[in-house]
Amino acid sequence: MSLAVPNGLDNSVERPGTRAPLVLGESSYHSITEAVCKIAENPPSKLWVISFLVAVHLATMLGLCIAYLFYTGVGVWGNRNPVFWGWPIVNFVFWVGIGHAGTLISAILYLFRQEWRTSINRTAEAMTIFAVVCAGTFPGIHVGRAWLAFWLAPYPSLNLWMWPQFRSPLLWDVFAVSTYATVSLLFWYMGMVPDLATFRDRSKHPVRRAVYGVLSLGWSGSSRHWMRYEKAYALLAAFAAPLVLSVHTIVSFDFAVSQVPGWHTTIFPPYFVAGAIFSGFAMVITLMVPARSIFNIEKLITIRHLENMCKIILTTGMIVGLAYGTEFFIAWYGQVTEEKFAFINRAMGPYWWAYWTMITCNVISPNIFWWKKARTTPWIMFVVSIFVNIGMWFERFVITVTSLSRDYLPSAWAYFEPTWVDWAMLIGSFGLFFTLFLLFCRLMPIINMAETKATLAKELHMAHKDAH
Amino acid sequence: MSETKPAPKTVADGNTVHGVVAEFSDVDSLLAACERVRDAGYTKADAFTPFPVHGIDKALGIKPTVLPWIALTAGAIGTCTALTMQIWMNGIDYQYIISGKPYISLPAFIPVSFELTILFASFGTFFGMWALNGLPRFSNPMFTSPRFDRATDDTFFLFLDAKDKRFDEAGAKVLLGDLGGEFVEPVVEDDSPKKIPSFLLIGLALVIAFSMIPALLVARMRVTKSSSPRFHVFPDMDFSPAKDAQQISTLFADGRAMRPDVPGTVNRGELDWDVDFQTGIDMEKLAQIDAPRARQLVAMMQSDTEIGEGDGEVAGEESPAEEAVEEVTEEPQTEEPAAEEPMADEPATEEPAADEPAAEEPAADEPEAEMQEEPESVKEESASEEPTAEETATEEPASEEPAAEAPAEEMAAEEAPAEETPAETAPEEAATPAEAEPPTEKPAAPASLAPASGPTVDTTPWLTENPLTVDAEVLARGQQQFNIYCSVCHGMNGRGNGLVNQRAQQILATTWTPPSSLHDQTLYQDAYPDGKLFSTISNGVRKMPGYAAQIRAKDRWAIVSYVRALQASQNATLDDVPASQRKALQAKQAEVQAELEKAAAKAAADAQQSAT
Repeated sequence: MSLAVPNGLDNSVERPGTRAPLVLGESSYHSITEAVCKIAENPPSKLWVISFLVAVHLATMLGLCIAYLFYTGVGVWGNRNPVFWGWPIVNFVFWVGIGHAGTLISAILYLFRQEWRTSINRTAEAMTIFAVVCAGTFPGIHVGRAWLAFWLAPYPSLNLWMWPQFRSPLLWDVFAVSTYATVSLLFWYMGMVPDLATFRDRSKHPVRRAVYGVLSLGWSGSSRHWMRYEKAYALLAAFAAPLVLSVHTIVSFDFAVSQVPGWHTTIFPPYFVAGAIFSGFAMVITLMVPARSIFNIEKLITIRHLENMCKIILTTGMIVGLAYGTEFFIAWYGQVTEEKFAFINRAMGPYWWAYWTMITCNVISPNIFWWKKARTTPWIMFVVSIFVNIGMWFERFVITVTSLSRDYLPSAWAYFEPTWVDWAMLIGSFGLFFTLFLLFCRLMPIINMAETKATLAKELHMAHKDAH
Repeated sequence: MSETKPAPKTVADGNTVHGVVAEFSDVDSLLAACERVRDAGYTKADAFTPFPVHGIDKALGIKPTVLPWIALTAGAIGTCTALTMQIWMNGIDYQYIISGKPYISLPAFIPVSFELTILFASFGTFFGMWALNGLPRFSNPMFTSPRFDRATDDTFFLFLDAKDKRFDEAGAKVLLGDLGGEFVEPVVEDDSPKKIPSFLLIGLALVIAFSMIPALLVARMRVTKSSSPRFHVFPDMDFSPAKDAQQISTLFADGRAMRPDVPGTVNRGELDWDVDFQTGIDMEKLAQIDAPRARQLVAMMQSDTEIGEGDGEVAGEESPAEEAVEEVTEEPQTEEPAAEEPMADEPATEEPAADEPAAEEPAADEPEAEMQEEPESVKEESASEEPTAEETATEEPASEEPAAEAPAEEMAAEEAPAEETPAETAPEEAATPAEAEPPTEKPAAPASLAPASGPTVDTTPWLTENPLTVDAEVLARGQQQFNIYCSVCHGMNGRGNGLVNQRAQQILATTWTPPSSLHDQTLYQDAYPDGKLFSTISNGVRKMPGYAAQIRAKDRWAIVSYVRALQASQNATLDDVPASQRKALQAKQAEVQAELEKAAAKAAADAQQSAT
C-alpha cells in the first residue's frame, strides 16, 4: 500500500478544494519506517562525527568553566555592582525561550489539529528538553554555592529551620521551570515509546534490542493501548499548552514584579511568551533545515512545513516588534521620569548597539517572509533564523543589563563587561545543546513515525475516496 | 467471563495457545475484519497496529478509558497539596513579614498551585496510562512470532484471545482466514525460560547490599559521638582566612588585618565636629595656652582620616608591624623606612589627593602644615613609646628617660593624660608627641602609656562641667553603661572591688593593678574635673584600657554623670534627697535596719545554740 505524490510537487501551493499533501514522493508505511530508522541504523556520516566532536569539546569547555566557577566563586563572571544579573540570567531566559517552541508545536498545534506538526514535533520536543537542560544549568550555578541549590526546594530542613518564601517570583520560577522540564520530558518520552518499539523490532544486535526493549516498555501496538495512549497524549497536550504560557509568564515575573525601571511593566508576560515562541521556532528552523538535507528526509519535512514555521516567525516577530513599541509608548504615556529615561537609555545609551542589533534582527529581518520566495527557500530562512536567534539573545541582554546598569541612582551606574568565562559559558551551552541534539539524532527516532503514518493513512484514505 | 469459567486452552507442542492472530496489509480490510469479529460475538479481540487507527475502537467495541478521571483526581490532589503546603509553610509555620501583606495571600500562591496542578495531573496521566495498559510488561506471547516485529512497521494484526468465551482454535482460524487475514497462526506461550537468570539476581542483591553501606554509615554516625571535627563536604566559609582586628594578615600588602578607613570618608556615627565634647578639653582655653596642640586636635577631628591615617601608621601599625618583623619577612621593607624618612614623605604626598575635598575649609591648610612636621616628632614619640609601654607592663625601668619617670608614673598615671605639660616645659618636638595623644580615641593608639616627661602639674583646661544636660534619663543611661562596662572592675558601688578584682585577689594575680575606688577624694570633681574623667574613660589609665571604641561619647559623658552621682551618694545627707522621696527612703531604711537586726539576732541565737 503506497501513495505516490510527485516528488517535485510544490506542496506549498494551495490548490482550492484539495488538501496539500504533507508526505511527498513514493511513500508507504514501510518507507517512512525505513527513512527514519536508517538515520539511526546507518553508520554515522563524517559530517555528524565532526560536528559531534566539535560540540562535545564545547560542552566540555562548559563543564570546565563550571568547575572553575565552583572552585573560584561567582567573581569569575562579569557580574558586578550594579549588574548582578549578567549573562547567566540572560542565557537562562534565552534558553528557556528556545525551549518553548517544542511544547508549543507539540501541544498547541496538536490541540488545533494542525497535522503539519507531525513530522517536526519530535525534533522540536527534543529541542525543548535540551534547551531546558541548558537553561536549568544557569540559575543552578548562578546561586553561588551551587551545592546548596537544593535549599530552593521546600523540604523540612534541620539546618535552615525555615521554609521558602512562596510570594517570591524567583521561587515560582523554580516550580515553573522544573514542572516544565518534567512535563516536557514525559511528553517527549511518551511520544517516543511507539517509535522506540519500532527501533526495538528492527534491531539485530541483542544489546541494542534489549536497550530499546527496556525503553519501549513492552509496547505492542494493541488497539486498547493506542486508545488510552491517544487519550493520554491529548490530556498531556492540554496540560502542556497552558503550562508553556505560564512558564514564560513566570519567567517574566522575575523581572516584572521588581521595581527596576524597564522591568516593572505589565506587558512583560505576553511579550515574553511571544518572544519565546519566536525564538523557539527560529531555532527549530536552524536545526531542521540542515538536518532534513543531511538525513535525506525532505519528503517528510517538506517545504510546506518550513513555510508554516516561517509564517509563525513572521507573526510572532511582529508581535515582538509591537511589544517593543508599546513599551516606549507606555514609558512616554506614563510620564514616570525613571521609566522614560530607562527606555531612552536603551536606545541611545551606552548599550545602543545591543538595542539596535535586537531591532534589526527581530523586527526588521523577519519581514523578508512577506515574500513567498523567502518562505520557501531553505537557505534564506536558515539565515533569517540565525538572525532571530542572535536578536532574541540580545533582547534578553538589553532587558537584563541595560535596566540594571542604570536604574534610579546615577551614582550607582556602571557599564557591564563580560569576562572570558561568560563568553565560554555561552558558547559552551551551545556545545551542550548540540551534543545532546546530535546524540538524539543518532539514537532516537527523530521523526514521529506513528503519527506520520497516521497522516499518510488519512491521505491514502482520501486518495482512495477521490478514486471512486 | 474468563474469570468465572476457565479459558479453553489447546495444547500444541506442549505450549499453551493464547489465541490466534492474522495479518492484514491495510487499514480498511483490518477495520472490516474487526467489525465482523465484533459482530460474531468476540469481546476479547484485539488489533495491533503501527499507528492509532481511527474508528477501530468502535469496530472492536473498546470501551472508553477512565484515564481522564485519573488525571482530574491527580490534578485536584496537586492543587490541594500546593495550597496546603504554601498556607502551612508561609501562612502558619514560618511567617514572612513582607510589606504588611497577609501571610496567607492566595493571589501570590496561584503560580505554584497552577504548576503543581499541572505536574500532578501530568504524572497521573502518564503513569495512569501505563498502569491501565499493563505496561511495562516483561514478557508478551505476541512477540514469540518473528512476523510480529512488523506490527510496529507496516503490518496490521488481528488477534482473537483464547480467553474469549466464544474461542475455539479451529473456528477462529477459519474465521480470520475468511476475513482476508494472511498468515493465520496460533500465538503460543513464550518457551524461553521464565526464571530470571541467577547471576542477575546475585548482581542485583550485591548492588542493593553495597548501596546500603553509605546509608548505614550515615546512620551510625548520627548515633555515635566523635571527637574529631565535623566532616565538611563543602567547606564554604568555615575555614576562611578570617582575622581579628590587629592580627597580622598575609592577605594585604601592609600586613594589617583591619583595614584603615577609606580616605575621604567618615565612619557611620562618627561625624562629630564638637571637639570639646569628644576630648573633654576646653578648646578655646587650650588654644590660648598651647595653640599648636589645639590646632592639631581640631584638625584631627575635622579631617579624621588623614591624621587617622598617619596616626594609624605611627601608633597603629608600629606595634603590629614590630611584631610582624619577626614573622613576616616582607614587612621590614615597609617597616624600617616607614619609621624614618618615608614617614615624613608619605603624608606629604598623600595629602594633596586626600585633602582636596576638604580644601574649602580654611582650617584644612593649617593642619597640612602641621602634619608635615608632625610625623617626624610622632615618629620619635613612637620610638620611645614602645619600650615604655613594655616597661610599664613589666615595671622594669630600662630606657633613657623613664628611669626617673617610672615612679612618677605610678602616681601621675592616676591623672592619666597629664602628658600635656611638656607643651610648656619642653620644646615643640617634645610637645607634639603628647599632643598626638588625647585624640587617640582609637584603641589602637596606646597613647595613654606615653610618658609624661616632665612635672606632673596638669594644666590642661579640662571641661569642668558635663556638656550633657544631666537628668534622670542621662543618669539611668549612665548607670546602665557603668554597670555594663565599669562595674566588672570598679564594682557596682564604685569601690573598686568588682568581680574581676575579686577574682584577681583570689588567684593572687601578680600583675594585677587594683582598680581605683571612685570614692577617693582625688577623684572628686574639684580635683579631677569631669573632662578629665571623661578622658580617662576614653583613653584609659594604668592597666585600664580606653573605652572610646566601645562606648559612644555621649554615653561616656553619661557615665561621668553617674560616677558623680555615685560619689555624691556616699556623702549625702537626708537633706539632699527630694522632700517627696524622703519618707519612702526612711521607711526603707527602717526596713533594712529591722532586717539587719533580725539577722544579727538570729546569728546570735545560732551561736548560742552551737555553744550549748
